[in-house]
Amino acid sequence: MDPASRPAVVIDSGTGYTKMGFAGNVEPCYIVPTVVAVNESFLNQSRSTSKASWVAQHNAGVMADLDFFIGDEALEKSRSSSTYNLSYPISHGQVDNWDSMERFWQQCIFNYLRCDPEDHYFLLTESPLTAPESREYTGEIMFETFNVPGLYIAVNSVLALAAGYTTSKCEMTGVVVDVGDGASHVVPVAEGYVIGSSIKSVPIAGKDVTLFVQQLMRERGENVPPEDSFDVARKVKEMYCYTSSDIVKEFNKHDKEPSKYIKQWKGIKPKTGAPYTCDIGYERFLGPEVFFNPEIYSSDFSTPLPVVIDKCIQSAPIDTRRSLYKNIVLSGGSTMFKDFHRRLQRDIKKIVDARLLASEARVGGEVKSQPVEVNVVSHPIQRYAVWFGGSVLASTPEFFGACHTKAEYEEYGASICRTNPVFKGMY
Amino acid sequence: MILLQSHSRFLLDTLLNRLQNIEKAVELDYHWAEFDDLRYHIQVTMKNLHIVLISVSLPTPPPETVFLSGLPAGAIEAIKAAYGSVVQILDPPRDGFNLTLKLNLSKLPTDEEYKHALLVKIASVREVVLGAPLRVILKQLASRTVASYIDPLVALVHRPKESFFLIPQAEKVTVVFPMRFKDSIDIVLATSFLQEFVDARRTAGLNNAPYCMWSPTPPLELKGAPDEALSVNAGFITFVILPRHVEGKKLDRTVWSLSTFHAYVSYHVKCSEGFMHTRMRRRCRILIEALDRAKPGMENARMQLNRSFKRLVCH
Repeated sequence: MDPASRPAVVIDSGTGYTKMGFAGNVEPCYIVPTVVAVNESFLNQSRSTSKASWVAQHNAGVMADLDFFIGDEALEKSRSSSTYNLSYPISHGQVDNWDSMERFWQQCIFNYLRCDPEDHYFLLTESPLTAPESREYTGEIMFETFNVPGLYIAVNSVLALAAGYTTSKCEMTGVVVDVGDGASHVVPVAEGYVIGSSIKSVPIAGKDVTLFVQQLMRERGENVPPEDSFDVARKVKEMYCYTSSDIVKEFNKHDKEPSKYIKQWKGIKPKTGAPYTCDIGYERFLGPEVFFNPEIYSSDFSTPLPVVIDKCIQSAPIDTRRSLYKNIVLSGGSTMFKDFHRRLQRDIKKIVDARLLASEARVGGEVKSQPVEVNVVSHPIQRYAVWFGGSVLASTPEFFGACHTKAEYEEYGASICRTNPVFKGMY
Repeated sequence: MILLQSHSRFLLDTLLNRLQNIEKAVELDYHWAEFDDLRYHIQVTMKNLHIVLISVSLPTPPPETVFLSGLPAGAIEAIKAAYGSVVQILDPPRDGFNLTLKLNLSKLPTDEEYKHALLVKIASVREVVLGAPLRVILKQLASRTVASYIDPLVALVHRPKESFFLIPQAEKVTVVFPMRFKDSIDIVLATSFLQEFVDARRTAGLNNAPYCMWSPTPPLELKGAPDEALSVNAGFITFVILPRHVEGKKLDRTVWSLSTFHAYVSYHVKCSEGFMHTRMRRRCRILIEALDRAKPGMENARMQLNRSFKRLVCH
């Protein structure tokens, strides 16, 4: 049977979580942390020259090659035994450990999705700033190791736009605000093409929110065991954080009615097993605030996210700007804070209106310009919007024609992955 | 993970998740695929949230295997024996599938441990259905009641349009797998993997394991088999299963390992390719480092690079 008649496999590997599943479905099968626990104990054995021990070492190596875990199992293993070392294959949105990445994919395919990679087309994602070399590496692993019949590497921001495409209207122009765990980008897309020169990065992402929450809790002297504090901070962030409209008002609210706003966190100390509780107070709204007032977290970077988005749109071609303001799409887990889109929309609107007023004042009130419509789109599947977009794209019949195929790979080599296969015939 | 598990991880997770959140009314409609061209579909409609429809489509059987109304021989009995009254078989099955099971969640046993075991069993529907004929023959072997009227050569489907062969005898069952791979590198790796596999069987610790051997040409037992079933590119591997391999609880494991042997080999071929790539990358990195060291003025250039980078950060 032809592989094109089977559903394609869609894997969206992010810094924090990997979303994987089969095309044509609404939800990914699994969302697992992108982490591999490797048993490296055999590597540290002393090298000796005798043949027997070489064989033993070789066998240990071969066994250890299969002795690894990914996702939640990996985290569990590393906690319970010291023979496993955690390795995060992706950092800041870029793959930096290809050995772990290959193992991670291997487990995704064989243990989680349980499919034969030779039977399915694959859709993988990359960040808009990925170097062509790393795309080549991806292609090499997919075609050489897994023998996939076809591969498409999509830009994740375009997929995030495509996710909105089906729900309402055919809009492939917009700004994607992609705030993941390890990297944040503001990517303008016009008619499905990324405007590469206007991409802006923000050095603040989900992990920084977690670190900030951790720092706040530590400074207040909350009773959290240090080895667990990052994990607790992450859970606090995911469960209790929200976006406020005004910090001063929010502080007042908290001070007036502490019982309503201050939450309790109950946990168990991992070493002793003793239960503990701690309070969660201001960090509930101060965590997400790092996007809007970065100076409270870092001294290096002080441009708020709405200003970055505005700058990004202003640097885009002039004829696309209005439609870009009209469709600002959120994607990634760190945009899930309550009311995040409202705050963003309000702040951008403020900047845009101020600029309009200033320009009107400059020309002296003779020319009335049309007000600019600012619209921040948020949808319930924001957390895996990229995956959903990929699932939609890969379930269209045109998808199979747009893939790099195994035959092309064998003919031209990994360099085919440098270009988008839509432009076939140009290499 | 060295062996493939017999239950579909996603099916089990979905069922467990469903049971926990049974009060929350959500529809469910999910398609997915598994190795050897199996396809699953699970559906829950708003009409009755306790009814889960699980459909399975099996690989296309080659002409030499026996399929009764779209299912391997003995599958219906096996399903009834394994699941009892919790599961009903719908006839006709969903369009495009070979089998549709209607699972009633409210009829599940209340005992937690037993319930979990039953759900795992439902998630291993593949093992129950595809392994049914193999199971029947191995069971006869365990009780040493091999019926003499059975065809001396039984073909069972394990991959689309491919089958493996069983030669049931009173004291032993010989299982022969014709091994085929698509990619030329896979063929080489699989061939040497199978030879190593046979060698590994000879080590001291595995005296009780089934006897196995590999040959590039069809073994004599396959004399009556059709020609297209004998065209292979990675040889034939033969296992001899004795009654002691199918006693009691070992039966389930033997059935599963035999019916997914091809997937097992293909998984290990992919793992070894990954293993080799890791080493190739490491070697490549070492060689590049050696080349870099040999370049004159390289140290200086790197220093300058560092400095300019730092300046960028400061501003």
